[in-house]
Amino acid sequence: MNWTVIQENLPYLLRGTMSTLIIASGVVVLGTSAGVVAGLLRFVPWTWLVTVTAWIVEFIRAIPLLLQIFFVFFALPALGLDLPPYPSAILAMTLWMTANTAEVVRGGIQSIPRGQFEAARSTGLSALQTMRHVIFPQAVRRMLPPFVGVCTILVKDTSLAAIIGVFELTRATQETIERTFSSFELYLTAAAIYFVICFPLTQFSQRAEARLQRG
Amino acid sequence: MAAFSFDWNAIRSGLPYLLQGAGLTVFIAGVAMLLALGVGMAIAILSQVPARAVRGLVRAYVEVFRNTPLLIQIFIVYFGLPQLGLRLSPFLSGLSALVLYTAAYNAEIFRAGLEAVPKGQHEAARSTGLSALQTLRHVIIPQAVRISFPALGNNLVSLVKNTSLVSVIGMVDLMFVANDISFNNFRTFEIYATTAVLYVLLVLGLTRVLNATERRMLRLR
Repeated sequence: MNWTVIQENLPYLLRGTMSTLIIASGVVVLGTSAGVVAGLLRFVPWTWLVTVTAWIVEFIRAIPLLLQIFFVFFALPALGLDLPPYPSAILAMTLWMTANTAEVVRGGIQSIPRGQFEAARSTGLSALQTMRHVIFPQAVRRMLPPFVGVCTILVKDTSLAAIIGVFELTRATQETIERTFSSFELYLTAAAIYFVICFPLTQFSQRAEARLQRG
Repeated sequence: MAAFSFDWNAIRSGLPYLLQGAGLTVFIAGVAMLLALGVGMAIAILSQVPARAVRGLVRAYVEVFRNTPLLIQIFIVYFGLPQLGLRLSPFLSGLSALVLYTAAYNAEIFRAGLEAVPKGQHEAARSTGLSALQTLRHVIIPQAVRISFPALGNNLVSLVKNTSLVSVIGMVDLMFVANDISFNNFRTFEIYATTAVLYVLLVLGLTRVLNATERRMLRLR
């Protein structure tokens, strides 16, 4: 184990980490906004819209993120949309995040007993008011643990962007290994950095889940 | 620029290879899941022993493998371990990383399953004269497996998708075949779109089978 190689290259890996965090937060913001809308679309009265949304969400969730990234980066240019690596990765990951958030939102809302909806409607609230003031606030608490779970997977999966050349933690590690040949030490360091980011998220998600179970 | 024209011929000539790749993906995911079920169950049982050191080690394994990217784990096995003198083929590297990663998730599910079996079951089995090991094997584990089934099914679905990462180190699966074809004939759009459809068919088909099995298990109970 060569410790100096880790010590000397840590600043560069941390620059990669910054990029990982920026990419992940950007995707979380974009994907969550779109995902909440897509999730709520499952509860509109227009059947065709519900079906179309469900199909798109299922389709995207069934495809590996790596293929989505390759599709945006290598296949969209054939249609004339030629994006550089960075926006390609952001676009692919945002699609992924949107579909997975939509699924979390759908699950959260469906977990609220129907009686809540009927009771709220019978007090004279409109369907929209019921969703906004009665159903959604309760559902959000139930969405939180799985949502944080999705965010954790996203942080780990930002590593896939390295494959098309986006600079983030995994790419920074690969570049350092090309110079130093210390693949074992450096990948281990990268793993440790990912762990430091993801472990608190997992813990938070588990605690929130346990709190919900207790009621 | 010239308007894009969809080339059905590229799909027609690529499809046989893509289907073979899909077969390999199913094979790799199947083998990895079987191994990961075994490892996961062993780890979950170890998490129930009284020795604190063992429980600590098991906890560490689960948390480390769940909280680091699978891609990095694959790279450590394939590029990192040779530095320590352990050189594995792309197939073995990819497979062992997939197994270790999935086993960590399976272990957590089995653990929850074991803990969800009511304590009375344990006491009742012991009082009929079964040994601790017999109780575990014939009474607790069968119930824990049934409780764990839906979550394990989700893991299998994730594993089918995660298998795509092993293509990066040169292990041949559906993703590898798709890259191989499209980098040769340059019909990236057609080939990747077909590959996406194949993954959707695989995943949705698998989900159907798992749901049907789950319903059947509930009826049996």
